[in-house]
Amino acid sequence: VHPTGKLLVLSDGGGKHTTVELSEPLDEEISGVVEVVGRVTNQATIMCASYVQFREDKSPFDLELYNEALKIIHEFPEYFPFG
Amino acid sequence: GGYVQSPGGFGSPTGAQAEKKQRSRSQNIVPCTVSQLLAAEQVDETFRICDVEISQVTVVGIIRHAEKAPTNILYKVDDMTAAPMDVRQWVDTDEAGGENVVVPPGTYVKVAGHLRSFQNKKSLVAFKIMPLENMNEFTTHILEIVNAHMILRKNLMSASRVPQSFSSTGMSDMGSYGGGGSLPVNGLTAHQSQVLNLIKSCPVPEGMSLQELKVQLHSMSMSTIKQAVEFLSSEGHIYSTVDDDHYKSTDAE
Repeated sequence: VHPTGKLLVLSDGGGKHTTVELSEPLDEEISGVVEVVGRVTNQATIMCASYVQFREDKSPFDLELYNEALKIIHEFPEYFPFG
Repeated sequence: GGYVQSPGGFGSPTGAQAEKKQRSRSQNIVPCTVSQLLAAEQVDETFRICDVEISQVTVVGIIRHAEKAPTNILYKVDDMTAAPMDVRQWVDTDEAGGENVVVPPGTYVKVAGHLRSFQNKKSLVAFKIMPLENMNEFTTHILEIVNAHMILRKNLMSASRVPQSFSSTGMSDMGSYGGGGSLPVNGLTAHQSQVLNLIKSCPVPEGMSLQELKVQLHSMSMSTIKQAVEFLSSEGHIYSTVDDDHYKSTDAE
């Protein structure tokens, strides 16, 4: 998390990093797995519209598995349509 | 009107069959995306997604909004495949508290319920809403959707009406089917499937005779064939034609 609280750097299940820009600085501490909903900019960053922290109190979230699942759903748009 | 509310303690989704009040042939509970539910076509009382009959579904998403009314709670559940969907959960007014605690927005939940359409707007009536404790269930749900829809559509092509509920194990017994073309059908043994497929492929109006079946299925004894025929007939896959020795498939054209 950037000191200004307006930028996050996230790494995904494949080890790649992305910068996420928030419209307002963070007002809470954030750690662990976060799901960001936003738009991709020309500079390949994400303008964040909303975010959610995943619960990991009972079990850790397998990010690599999730990444694999995403690849599968993109391969089968007939079974997983996007609006 | 209301329906039977399931008691607490979430068992396997397949147990919900006892609570259906409509005479629905679909006994599956199918994991879906909101976009699939919105795209489902309705014919009379039935919904279909690419010809697969849909009644009870599970959806995993995040609560965007929750509104409590005296008799029900209306949630808007978002799974990012389409706009958030209305999910209504009826409240048992006799029970104080207990299950009827409102799930706060921002929580990921798994919803099990019935698809409804009113004035062309789709919604869900939930019989169970469970906050996800393990986010890996989210990943599982995504994979189950692809798996379930793929299998259900393939089953339609091999044209059997035997439904199967989808737990995480999906189809079983694929290995036991020896030669002969189409996919093994859920719920039928290898022998029954073979007999059914032969009968289905018979173009003659009188159907296929038991003698014909015996000729084609050399490895099967007459009594095994007869047992398979009796089973298939009682399940409604085949019916007798000119006499008890001739059968046609109910799915044949």
